[in-house]
Amino acid sequence: MRRWQLALAGSGFVLSLLVPLVVHSDYQLQVLFRIYLFAALGLAWNLVGGYAGQLSLGHAAYFGAGAYGLALFTRAGMPLWAALVMLVGLAMLFALLIGGVSFRLRGPYFALATIAFAEVLHAAAKNLPRVTGGDVGVPVPALFHTHANRSFYLCAVLLTAATTAATFLISRSRFGYYLMAIREDQETALSVGVNAARTKLHALLVSAAFTALGGALYGSLFLFIVPDQVLSIDISNEIAIVAMLGGAGTLAGPMVGAAVLESASEIFKTIFQEAHLLIYGLLLIVVVLFLPEGIMGGVEAIVRRRK
Amino acid sequence: MDFFTTLQAVVNGVLTGALYALVGMGMALIFGVMRIVNFAHGTFMMLGMYATYVLFVQAHVVPYYSFPLVALGMYGLGYLIYMALLRPIHGQSDFMQILLTLGIGLAITDAIQLVFGADYHQINFPLLEKNLHLGSHITVNAPWVVSFGIALVTGGGLYFFVMHTMSGRAARAIAQNRYAAPLMGIHLHRVQAFWFGLGVSAAAVAGSLLLPVFYLYPGVGDQFTLKAFVIVVLGGMESIVGAAMAGVLLGVVESLTSLYWGNEWALAVDFAIFLLVLSLRPSGIFGRQKA
Amino acid sequence: MNLLEIEHVTKRFGGLLATNDVTFSIREGEIGFIVGPNGAGKTTLFNLISGVFHPDSGTIRFQGRDISRIRPNQAAELGIGRTFQVVKPLRNLTVLENVMLGAFLRTRSGTKAAEESRGVLRYLQMEKIADSPASGLPLPMLKRLEIARALATRPRLILLDEVMSGLSTAEALALAETLKKLPEWGISAVGGVEHVMQVVMSIADRVVVLDHGTVIAEGTAKEVVHEPRVIEAYLGSKYKELGL
Repeated sequence: MRRWQLALAGSGFVLSLLVPLVVHSDYQLQVLFRIYLFAALGLAWNLVGGYAGQLSLGHAAYFGAGAYGLALFTRAGMPLWAALVMLVGLAMLFALLIGGVSFRLRGPYFALATIAFAEVLHAAAKNLPRVTGGDVGVPVPALFHTHANRSFYLCAVLLTAATTAATFLISRSRFGYYLMAIREDQETALSVGVNAARTKLHALLVSAAFTALGGALYGSLFLFIVPDQVLSIDISNEIAIVAMLGGAGTLAGPMVGAAVLESASEIFKTIFQEAHLLIYGLLLIVVVLFLPEGIMGGVEAIVRRRK
Repeated sequence: MDFFTTLQAVVNGVLTGALYALVGMGMALIFGVMRIVNFAHGTFMMLGMYATYVLFVQAHVVPYYSFPLVALGMYGLGYLIYMALLRPIHGQSDFMQILLTLGIGLAITDAIQLVFGADYHQINFPLLEKNLHLGSHITVNAPWVVSFGIALVTGGGLYFFVMHTMSGRAARAIAQNRYAAPLMGIHLHRVQAFWFGLGVSAAAVAGSLLLPVFYLYPGVGDQFTLKAFVIVVLGGMESIVGAAMAGVLLGVVESLTSLYWGNEWALAVDFAIFLLVLSLRPSGIFGRQKA
Repeated sequence: MNLLEIEHVTKRFGGLLATNDVTFSIREGEIGFIVGPNGAGKTTLFNLISGVFHPDSGTIRFQGRDISRIRPNQAAELGIGRTFQVVKPLRNLTVLENVMLGAFLRTRSGTKAAEESRGVLRYLQMEKIADSPASGLPLPMLKRLEIARALATRPRLILLDEVMSGLSTAEALALAETLKKLPEWGISAVGGVEHVMQVVMSIADRVVVLDHGTVIAEGTAKEVVHEPRVIEAYLGSKYKELGL
């Protein structure tokens, strides 16, 4: 990252923190919350899907672990900080299980295994009413009581900043190099001594931890969660689409992707109501066919051609 | 639970499984043989159901007569989708195929929702009321028997077509060596489009046959996409027969799961089996073990 | 002392015998070449030594230690570096960054890895293109980049699969000159080539000729090309390819 990029990121962060001084509408703050939340989720997904090139379509598992973890651990009487630690731990445990099974598989099998695991959790949450409240759902404690919308928005900004910083540090480190090497060619990576299975697992663990925090934030905003909302395949898809749309394997991609996707989906909601997911499908097709490296990848290509 | 209750569940499972087998055979052609990771498979089945539904409501044709027409139409759609959308990304990673077909699935599902709404639909005709009794303890609903028969004939025909025709040989040649196939004078994309269309149409026929005994709504196909993948992996990827057997097996397992644990666990059990097979025996239950 | 010992190594793929009872060894400081036509089993042999495949029978020893069942990343850690027939640089990264990937095996620090990599690039006469993007390099440079990445892992032995293919005679000679100095760094090498070319004759301490997975001759380059079985195997259409 060059100096001007660092300055841009820094000033973007400060400006984001100042937004609530100007924007007071609850609706607008909630849309902005969604943008930052999904930027953070997309960034977390990006470590596995973008940098390491492993297509996860089951990130709802960690998202759900975060939301349900906050609800269930606090219900069990834990203080908030302990619940946060536990829910991150729970998501990482899931990551360990998923990674253990699926990282030995290649190509589409990995993606399928991640879906299958998330769907098993989805079914479990639906069908174990005594633990999870079943289809009826479970209340989630409010993280903020006053100025809730503003506080949630600021939390999402902080989460995005933290995920961006983590991604930046990783991308410059040996770990980051190893992830990219695995994406480009696993054989080559192994030949220079990269323990591919372990490296991928580490990426998934970091990714799961951030995703779980995002899930907890989301659950707490709604105060009440049901399985179809936080553990459904739609969540997994949305996270992957955000990153792919913006540009997988780039630092700014998920932020751009989240801004574009969430605004487009807000606009579509007013036009098509229930069928606003249509935009997701169409965007995916457009990205794969015309922008395989996402918006940021496309921008970079144009900049390179200008030079 | 007594013996006959279990037997009844097994019979029901086999009847459902025959339709799973058809969906799975279509996927075995597309994913197993052609290696196109098709995340829109269930969506195509759903489209088949809606097409059958429209023919029933508008023209009063029952599914058992309209399914060949639906199959033909869906074959054409599959062919077009391959040529227009999948061909341009030929040779790229699975990653891109998954995202593209996922996009196609989402777009079609929501387009259907836009046209027909999110409501549940059902069709009704006299045959649905009829039951057949096998002995004094086993009862089967007539439409299931009819759909079982049609699935058997369609599936058998598909198998014969794959194994004993020029076109089937070309498909298998491509499966064995994607790169040499063009050298052997096989027009890769035309063959792939043909088989993609055929796989789509197999899923659509299963949809037609399922319509009389199921609810219809835009998202009905979603779980079938995942089931189809499970079936193909269990069946050992390239094997059409393996997929058929795996389909029936999945039907029986789901039926028994519903009986003993409850319907809501059926899908979870599918996936648990899937994860188990992937981690222990990646070549599938019915597949040959490879080095 | 023998650095690498291949003893009666056999590997089958289905009905195909990829390597059949192969035995040979490489001493420390030696440069060896495995010669054989496409499909003779050279790449299989490299994959066996570097842990990508495991032999069905026989033993592979490295520095006296049995490595028949290790994983590829462990092979790298032990000091076996390798290049691939098909070159695959990391897109979007510079030449230096590509080499650093290898150097990271021995250090966590990016600064040290970069320093180490610059040294390797200097040795391979690539320091001028250190900061150019790896994609878009001409083939001879890509081949060198592969070697640089493997050397950056500080191997004791480097396996060079088809390292000369696609190069002109001049380019191959230039590369051979560079490789000649490897033993000075304490690195032994095993290369794989299709023919016993002049360049191979000039730098190889030992040549092993493979045909259909079987060793048909072993010795110095001069000895090997006069072996009746080698001449026989290469006679007819292949006679000229001996390059004599």
